[in-house]
Amino acid sequence: MSELLTTYILPCLWAFWACVGFGLVFNIQGRGILICGLGAALGWLAYLLAMRFGIGDILSAFLAAMVIGAYSEIMARIRCCPVTGYLQVALLPLVPGKGIYQAMQYCVAGETQLFITSLLHTIGFAAALSVGAMLITSILRALFPRFQRGGK
Amino acid sequence: MDYDKLLNLGAELGRQLMNSGAEIYRVEESVTRLLTAYGLEPQVFAIPNCLIVSVTGEDGKSVTRMCRIPAHGTDIELLERCNELCRYLCREVPPVEEAQAMVDRMAAGLQQYAPRTVLLGYVTAAAFFALFFNGSFRDCLAAALCGLAVGICVLFGQRFIGSNGFFRTVVCSAVISAAAILLVHMEIGENLDAVTIGTLMVLVPGMALTNAMREIMAGDIISGLSRTAEVILVATAIALGTAIPLMLTRSL
Repeated sequence: MSELLTTYILPCLWAFWACVGFGLVFNIQGRGILICGLGAALGWLAYLLAMRFGIGDILSAFLAAMVIGAYSEIMARIRCCPVTGYLQVALLPLVPGKGIYQAMQYCVAGETQLFITSLLHTIGFAAALSVGAMLITSILRALFPRFQRGGK
Repeated sequence: MDYDKLLNLGAELGRQLMNSGAEIYRVEESVTRLLTAYGLEPQVFAIPNCLIVSVTGEDGKSVTRMCRIPAHGTDIELLERCNELCRYLCREVPPVEEAQAMVDRMAAGLQQYAPRTVLLGYVTAAAFFALFFNGSFRDCLAAALCGLAVGICVLFGQRFIGSNGFFRTVVCSAVISAAAILLVHMEIGENLDAVTIGTLMVLVPGMALTNAMREIMAGDIISGLSRTAEVILVATAIALGTAIPLMLTRSL
């Protein structure tokens, strides 16, 4: 039970509050801010669960981005708002901020080999996120073209 | 039909959308849809700091308007209002003057959080990202203080730091790094890495990198590449900024 709490519930809770903080910075008004936070927590939970199956972090990020993409699209349809805001804020815990930071630290320190390795990994991670999120958008566009007119 | 006024309407809405941090394809699509609803056949092209709208009138004369878009942040409320207005205008097609007045009114009556609340946002984000990166509760407190420092720098430091993005990022990350080292030294924080990276999350361009990738995937190559260049520039600024206090403390 305590393992469940520390490995899954608490990180998701931290992700939720961190993204609510970002919602204030990005000027999200009203209930939208809680929806974004919830999306972030959900995405991170998906990532943690995928990691548990040992499929590697890039594939896990791809799956988590798909979950976030689906969640944001649904919320955007329900509230008739653009999907951008939900997607951007909900993806925040996953975006490779730490990776970019570490890569540039290696670069400044002159550790070229480590720099290239972490940079490529970071780019791969970011690409996985963007493909995952775009995939859901494209699938929905292909399946429900009529939604496009009202929902976008 | 007054093409100049219509063109101004489209360009103004597009400019607001760009300022809100919308994706390129959304800006292009919204402006195209708006002007098409008014019976024109517009050509729209946008890159992160430029928007070009061109229409051809019935007499075969073409009119073009170009807007330069200054550096901007993300404002989801503005984006939602623009989107709502664009949909309304496409559906109802009110007279041009009325539509222009509505666009102006929307920009003027935009809800915005008070600087205090935005500062609270920086503090919350930094504190919880420190916990998120395996920090302890004491690290969370230290990161909250660092977040306060960087929030003050970003919100109120414009006058002292200037408007150069690169230099501003160097100063902000140096402030974060110095504050984190100081707080860990004073034994408020325990884990320097968790405090630093948690607070740096408000600066690092992880979001920008993901957005750049999304624009490249969506086919807006020029926008994607220029955003990628921006990401590299900001990341370098952060690495330099955080390195300065570290070097200073090592040499002391």
